[in-house]
Amino acid sequence: MAQAAATLAPEVSEEDALRAQLYDLLAVLLRKPPSGDYLAGIGVLAGDASGLGQGIDALAAGARVSTPEGIDREFHRLFVGLGRGELLPYASFYITGFLNEKPLAKLRGDMGELGMVRDAAAYEPEDNIGSLCEMMAGMIVGRFGDPVPVARQKDFFFTHIAPWAEHFFSDLEGAESATFYVPVGTIGKEFMQIEKHSFRMID
Amino acid sequence: MSRTQDDRAVKGRRDFLKLATVGAPAAAAATVATGGQALAAEPTELGYTETPHVKAYLESCRF
Repeated sequence: MAQAAATLAPEVSEEDALRAQLYDLLAVLLRKPPSGDYLAGIGVLAGDASGLGQGIDALAAGARVSTPEGIDREFHRLFVGLGRGELLPYASFYITGFLNEKPLAKLRGDMGELGMVRDAAAYEPEDNIGSLCEMMAGMIVGRFGDPVPVARQKDFFFTHIAPWAEHFFSDLEGAESATFYVPVGTIGKEFMQIEKHSFRMID
Repeated sequence: MSRTQDDRAVKGRRDFLKLATVGAPAAAAATVATGGQALAAEPTELGYTETPHVKAYLESCRF
C-alpha cells in the first residue's frame, strides 16, 4: 500500500485510491477474460462480512477453482456470443433499449471535455461498463491529466453510470451463463451503491 | 456553503468510504489491478489473423 501511495498525486486520498482499485478490478474483468496470472492474483484476495467483502471472497474462491479457458468460454457466452452475448453491457442499451444511442453521444461529449479518447484499437462503443469503469479509475488517480475533482466525478458518475450500472450488475449476478462472473456482478452492484451513497454526501 | 461545512461533508464522505470499502483489501487489490493487464493500448484479440481485409471490414462496422 505504501508503494501504491508513493505513485499517487498528493490530492488523491487513500479512500479514493481504493475506489480506483475497485474500478480497475471491474474494468479488467469486464473488458476481457482474465489471464492465468491475473486469476492467481485474484485467488488470494479476502473480504470482510459486508456485501462487498462477501463478493470479493466469492470471486477469489471462483478464481481458485476456475481455468482461464473455462472463464474465456463463459465470457464469450455472456458478452460476445454470435452477434450478441447473453448480456449487452452498454449504457445506451439499458437506458434506451437500443445500442449506439444518445447516452453514447452524451458520453463522447463529456469524454472530450475530460481529455479522454477512445483507443484506436477498440472496436466497441465507449458506453460499455468496462470502459466506464476504466474511465472512473483514470479520472480518480489522474491518468488522463490531473486527477478529476470529486464533484466532477460525481457529475460523470450520475450521468453515465448510475442510471443503469446497478441494474446491469444485478443482471450479471443472475445470468444463465454466469458462474465465475456472478461475484463480479455482486461486487459491481455493492460498489455502485457505495459510490451513490458517498457522492451524495458532498454538496 | 461555508468552508467548515464543506470540510465536514468531505470528512463524512471519506469516513464512509473507509468503512464501506474495507471489504476490498487494498494491498492485494493494488497488485491485482495493475499487474499484467495494460488496459488502454492492448491489441484486440480476435482469434483469427487480422489481415488488411479483416481490418477493413471491422473498420466499416465501427460506430
